[in-house]
Amino acid sequence: MSCPKTQHLLQEYFSDDLTPLSKKEIENHIYSCEQCSNELEFFLLAQNKMQGWKDQRVPHWDRGTELFKREHHQGRTETKFWNRWLWVPTAVSLVMFCALLFNLSVVSSEQEFSISFGAKSFDRQLQSQLIEFQQQQRAEMDVLVLQVEDWVNSGNVQLMRTVMEQAQEAAVENLDRIYAYFEQQRLRDLEDMRVGYQELVNSDYETIRSLQQLAQFHSYQGSTVR
Amino acid sequence: MSLVNEDEALIAAALNGSAYAWEKLVKRYETQIFNYSVRLTGNSSDAMDLMQEVFLGVYRNLHRFRGDAKFSSWIFRIAHNKAVDMNRRRRLLSNQLRINDDEFDILDILPGDTGNEPDEKLGTQQQNGKITRMLARLSLEQRLVVEFKVFQSLTFDEIAVMQDISANTVKTRFYTALKKLKAVSEENNVLS
Repeated sequence: MSCPKTQHLLQEYFSDDLTPLSKKEIENHIYSCEQCSNELEFFLLAQNKMQGWKDQRVPHWDRGTELFKREHHQGRTETKFWNRWLWVPTAVSLVMFCALLFNLSVVSSEQEFSISFGAKSFDRQLQSQLIEFQQQQRAEMDVLVLQVEDWVNSGNVQLMRTVMEQAQEAAVENLDRIYAYFEQQRLRDLEDMRVGYQELVNSDYETIRSLQQLAQFHSYQGSTVR
Repeated sequence: MSLVNEDEALIAAALNGSAYAWEKLVKRYETQIFNYSVRLTGNSSDAMDLMQEVFLGVYRNLHRFRGDAKFSSWIFRIAHNKAVDMNRRRRLLSNQLRINDDEFDILDILPGDTGNEPDEKLGTQQQNGKITRMLARLSLEQRLVVEFKVFQSLTFDEIAVMQDISANTVKTRFYTALKKLKAVSEENNVLS
């Protein structure tokens, strides 16, 4: 059965300005009314559960400080710094640019000091200096060439002499070897000839001995026949 | 120095152009506002948007803060207005919360009703997720009343002043919100 007081009583139950007497009356009703009791129980459980929320950490963000600084012109100090210090390199760059643009020439020597635009005198001086430098370089180059030629020639002579000496030594050595070879060959031929003659002499002796024996036999035969 | 006085000192310094004071002031309230935003929007991304809008509103209106009320009340009034604006503009808070109705059962998070106590090891994210899913069943007006009553512990009268409505309307919205949560819970029980 539906209780007509539930909504009103529960709304008041959660009020903060409830007097102790009113609270007591509401609680008395709730304890005696099943519907109100069930509803209050659910509400309290739900409320309790929601209060179990655990705070999540905030993801990183800039907290609006950039906007704050921008709107409070806190970049002004950087501008002041730029104005105070950065004009020096800027001015130097500008001067250098102008010098390049107008072909500015500053000549400083013992005789003169001149500043000119277009740099004609500077060109003339530079040209004469270049010619002088070129001549000087050429003379130095000639001397160097001569030195190199001498050095090369002396080197060549030395090389040829060395080569000749080496060739001569090689030729003498070769002749010595050829002579030794021929001498050795000659001695070997003489030995062969000596052996050959010896054999020939031996065979001749054999032949003479045979002839002597034959002659002795014939003489013996003749005597016996007589 | 009390918290209120510290707030006032920080506000004065911030109004004089101190970025440090402003950052410190934001740090004092960002966790409260961020969690408020998460409960209203249901996700961190929209919550960040809402939180940034709130602090932008605070920054734009800081010079108007007279100190008649507590700074926390003042900042939550801005938070309330920004949430209403955002809801009107983007329809994110009430219609586009990505909640799967079939998965939601309020009894899952009510101890004793189902006999399933919430796991002690349940992470903050899961626990808070269940609460945001529960809150997502409510309209923005109801959600704001529950937020200020349950989470910010404001009285019905303070909520009424903040929302420019009567205290009775606030009470009715609060009661209706709790009734709706109960109805959803019972409906899910029947369906299951």
